[in-house]
Amino acid sequence: MTYISNKVINKMRFCTLIFFVLLTSCKSTLNVQGNFPTPVINQMPFSIGVVFDPQFINYQYIETGKDRSEWEISVGKAQVQLFDVVLSAMFSEVITSDKLQTISNKPIDLFFQPSLENFQYNVPNETKGKMFEVWLKYNLKVFDGQQQLMADWVLTAYGKTPTAFLKSDEAALNEAMVIALRDLGAGIALRFGHVPEINQWLKSKHQALQASTVY
Amino acid sequence: MSKYKSYQLVLFSVICLGLFGCTNVTIDQVKHQEVKLNKGDSIVVMGRRAGSDYETEPELISCIGEVLAKTNESLNIIPENDFVDKLYPWFEARTAPTQVRDLNRLLSYDKISSLIEDYQVQYIVWVDGNTEKTRSAGSISCGLSATGAACFGFGTWDTKSEYEATIWDYNSRQLVGKVSSSADGTSYMPAVVIPIPIIAPVQADACKAMAAQLGQFFGPEKQSIAVPNTN
Repeated sequence: MTYISNKVINKMRFCTLIFFVLLTSCKSTLNVQGNFPTPVINQMPFSIGVVFDPQFINYQYIETGKDRSEWEISVGKAQVQLFDVVLSAMFSEVITSDKLQTISNKPIDLFFQPSLENFQYNVPNETKGKMFEVWLKYNLKVFDGQQQLMADWVLTAYGKTPTAFLKSDEAALNEAMVIALRDLGAGIALRFGHVPEINQWLKSKHQALQASTVY
Repeated sequence: MSKYKSYQLVLFSVICLGLFGCTNVTIDQVKHQEVKLNKGDSIVVMGRRAGSDYETEPELISCIGEVLAKTNESLNIIPENDFVDKLYPWFEARTAPTQVRDLNRLLSYDKISSLIEDYQVQYIVWVDGNTEKTRSAGSISCGLSATGAACFGFGTWDTKSEYEATIWDYNSRQLVGKVSSSADGTSYMPAVVIPIPIIAPVQADACKAMAAQLGQFFGPEKQSIAVPNTN
C-alpha cells in the first residue's frame, strides 16, 4: 500500500514538474533571420567606415510589460547583415569597425554610425487588422573623413504581416521584422543623398572629381 | 478497437474533411484596351501593401499566379518575390509606384528598365484587398478529465474577401483594365465530443475567381478552372 502511495505521489510530482516546465516555456524567443537582396542603385565612388558598436551588434529586445506575452527578440545580427548589404551596394568600399577611428592607412571618405533608438511591435490581438507590426527608429550619424559630425538624422522603418493558418507567432513576427528591415534598407539607399548636409558634401566631391578629371 | 469501428472512424473523418461551407463570389471586369501578348512576354502579379489597417496576403498573390498559369498555359507568370527582390528597393510597400505614370520616373533609371526588360514584362497586375472575419457567434467549451477530452457547443463566423486587380501595360505605360473579385461565406463548427470544422474557403474561392477572370482578360482559356458557384 505504501508502495502504491509513493508511486502516486511520484506521478503527481512528475505532473507538477511538467506543468511548471510548460508554464515557463511560454516565453517566445526570436532570433531575426532573413535574406536581404542587393539594392539596384548607382554606386558612389567613395569609401565608408561603418561603426557597429557592440550594443548595436547584440541588440536584443526583452518584453517587460506585465500585460503582454513574454518575448525575447534579437535583432542585432539581422540589422548588421542588412547594413552590410545596403552599404556595399551604395559605396565602392566598406570597412567595418566597432569604434570611430581610422581603420587602415588608407583615407576614408565618410564614417557612418547607426543606432537603434526605439523598437516597438504589436501582435494580432493588439491590432485592428489582426497583424504583426514592427516599428524601428534609427538614429543615423555620418562623419567626414576627419571624424567630424556632418549629418545626424532619424529614419523610421515599418513592417507588417498578416496572420496565416499554420504559421507560428515567431515566424510571423520574423517576417514583419524582415519587412521592416527591408523598409529601412530602402530608406537608406534612396534617401541618403537627400539629407541636406550629405547632399552638399556629395555635390562638392563630385565637383572636385570632375575638376581633377578635366585638369 | 474492432475492424468495423475502425472503418466507421475513417469514414467519419473523411466526411468531416470533405465538408465545406458555402461561398458567394462576385467578379467584375473593366477593360479599357485590348491586351496583346507576344510569345515570351511575361506578367507579374504583385500585392499592394501600403494600406494601414490591412495587408494583401502574400499567399493570395502566389495563389492567383499559380491558378492563372494553369488557366492559360501560354501565360508566363513571374513570381512576386523574385521580381520584388531583383528590383529591391523599388517595389517595396512604401516605394512601389502607385500610379501608372510613376513608372516613367522609375524607368528613367537604366538599371531598373534593363532588369524589367530582361524579364520581358508586358503587364503588371497590382492586387489590392484582403480577407477578414466580419462576424462571429456561438461558443465551444472543452473539458479534460481522467477518461479523456471532449468539447461541446457551436460556433459560426462570416468571412469576407474583397480584391481588386489593376492591370498596367508596361510598354505603353497605360492602365488597361481592372478586375474585381469579392467573396463571402459562413463557416460552422459544431462540437459534440469532437469539433467538426465546416470551413467556407472564402479566400481560396476569391483567388480562383480572380485568376479565372484575369485568364479571360489576357486571352482565351486553354483549360477551364471551376469558378465557385454563386448561390
